[in-house]
Amino acid sequence: MTGIAGVIYRDWRQRITNVGFVFWDLFVPVAYLILFGTGFDRALARSFVVDGRELEYTAYLLPGVIAMTAFSVAMNTAWGFFMDKDSGIFYEMLTYPITRRQLLIGKVCFNVCLSLIGALLSISVGVLMLNVPVRWEYLPVTALAIVVTTAGWFFLLSIFAIRLHRMDSFNTVTSAAYIFLMFLSSMFYPLTDLPAWFQWTARVNPMTWQVDMLRFGLLGTGAPTVFFLESVAFAVFTLVCLALAVRALDAAA
Amino acid sequence: MNAIEVENLHKVYRSNSSENVALDGVSFQVAQGTIFGLLGPNGAGKTTLVKILTTITPPTSGRAMVMGCDVVRNPVDVRRRIAVVLQQTAVDSLLTVQDNLLIYAYLHHVPRHAAWKKMQAVVEEFELGDKLGKTVYDLSIGTKRRVQVAKIFMVDSPVIFMDEATTGMDPFMRRRVMDRIIAESRSGKTVLLTTQVLSEAEQLCDTILIIDRGRILASGTLEDLRRLSEQMFRVSLTFAHIDDDLIKRLRALQPVEFTTSGKSVEMLFRGTEASLLGELADIARTVPITQFEIHGADLEEIFMALVKDAS
Repeated sequence: MTGIAGVIYRDWRQRITNVGFVFWDLFVPVAYLILFGTGFDRALARSFVVDGRELEYTAYLLPGVIAMTAFSVAMNTAWGFFMDKDSGIFYEMLTYPITRRQLLIGKVCFNVCLSLIGALLSISVGVLMLNVPVRWEYLPVTALAIVVTTAGWFFLLSIFAIRLHRMDSFNTVTSAAYIFLMFLSSMFYPLTDLPAWFQWTARVNPMTWQVDMLRFGLLGTGAPTVFFLESVAFAVFTLVCLALAVRALDAAA
Repeated sequence: MNAIEVENLHKVYRSNSSENVALDGVSFQVAQGTIFGLLGPNGAGKTTLVKILTTITPPTSGRAMVMGCDVVRNPVDVRRRIAVVLQQTAVDSLLTVQDNLLIYAYLHHVPRHAAWKKMQAVVEEFELGDKLGKTVYDLSIGTKRRVQVAKIFMVDSPVIFMDEATTGMDPFMRRRVMDRIIAESRSGKTVLLTTQVLSEAEQLCDTILIIDRGRILASGTLEDLRRLSEQMFRVSLTFAHIDDDLIKRLRALQPVEFTTSGKSVEMLFRGTEASLLGELADIARTVPITQFEIHGADLEEIFMALVKDAS
């Protein structure tokens, strides 16, 4: 078994021992889609016009919910470093015959699968229960976007999980980051009618890039050029975060 | 070929306000197939040294090689040749004992079939059969430690690092681990161990290195250390009766350590036994000695003396 396969196997064994993780990773975003999406849709009783296309709010929200799944899977995986530190295995793993990069990539591989399952669940609920018009032919693009963005968030959050010594500090940082990343992005609302400062902040927010990529893949909104630029930007963001996470592991002791 | 070579190793931990020198120019070699003991008081730099040799942390300067591989330039090559028991308990708490053993093997590139086979032997040796399906979280500290030590025998690494590995184990399991360490060494493996139980080091180690505050105080075989500690020896005497005058006369012999219990006196000396024997014979003429024993200092006494001298 290769080092990466070993790390994937370990993460899989860990996750199946804790149903709570799976619940938070997979079902909370779906509940968000059904409850928040339907409630907001009915309360405002109007549809959105995005890039000339009229969309129900639940359809508009679906890519955001998938982004939420990716972020929450990444957050739980990164949080796992604290469990490893608690049980002492974190430092022992640094002596295993694998590179720091393989350790991180192995951890992200299993969780990318979890993200994809979560996304598939959300898409199924969206299509079957909420009549979201999904572009099936672009599903591979959506899947690729989920893979890259889950990895990007995981590497970013790992930097904090490895560097911070206290779990409560990590929880504070990630919860605050989550709020700002979500609400200062195009996850819940189109940016066009928002104040200029809000729009500019949202445009440099990787969460906006992620949601726009997923919206382009799933619903076909947004210009291909913007999709391309945001995809490149997120890929660069992912690689930079990977490099910083490797450095954090090197400096961990 | 030496299994471990360390040359002028320095490690400085820097924070915003302070600088802590953990290792200050440490150099030594460990021959293949030997058991090497690393001793020192708390904060001496033992764990830092183990962390550098096991590639957890890089040195600030200097060079360290394990089986010919540089710990900084070829860390993965070093990791392929080592198995490590760290000072702190290191087990996957949420997983079962079986998962802990197998995952350790998989992460060391042991094929699935071989890992399962190896597990049967390790489980039997470390008496983990009835705990195999149990979650490690529910086990006692001693058993967790046993699982942690058992893991390293799932792989066939030429160099084994054990940082206070027997801490928390019951005497029977400690004995078993010690026997296993000796067997590993006889089969050609190199073992570097740190321990606070000096009798353990005395029984196990071919070579001992004593460090304090990041510097080497002494190194060599137990005999070398005895010589280095200026021929220390312990004298136990029981007198027919004991009084203040006798105690004054005994203290005048300038022992390094002096304790009395009833009619018995224990003294630790530095120097030659011959000169002391004459003086004790003088004392025996006035106060009869009913029991007399003299023996070489044990490792603990040598260790204490060396650390005391250094400070």
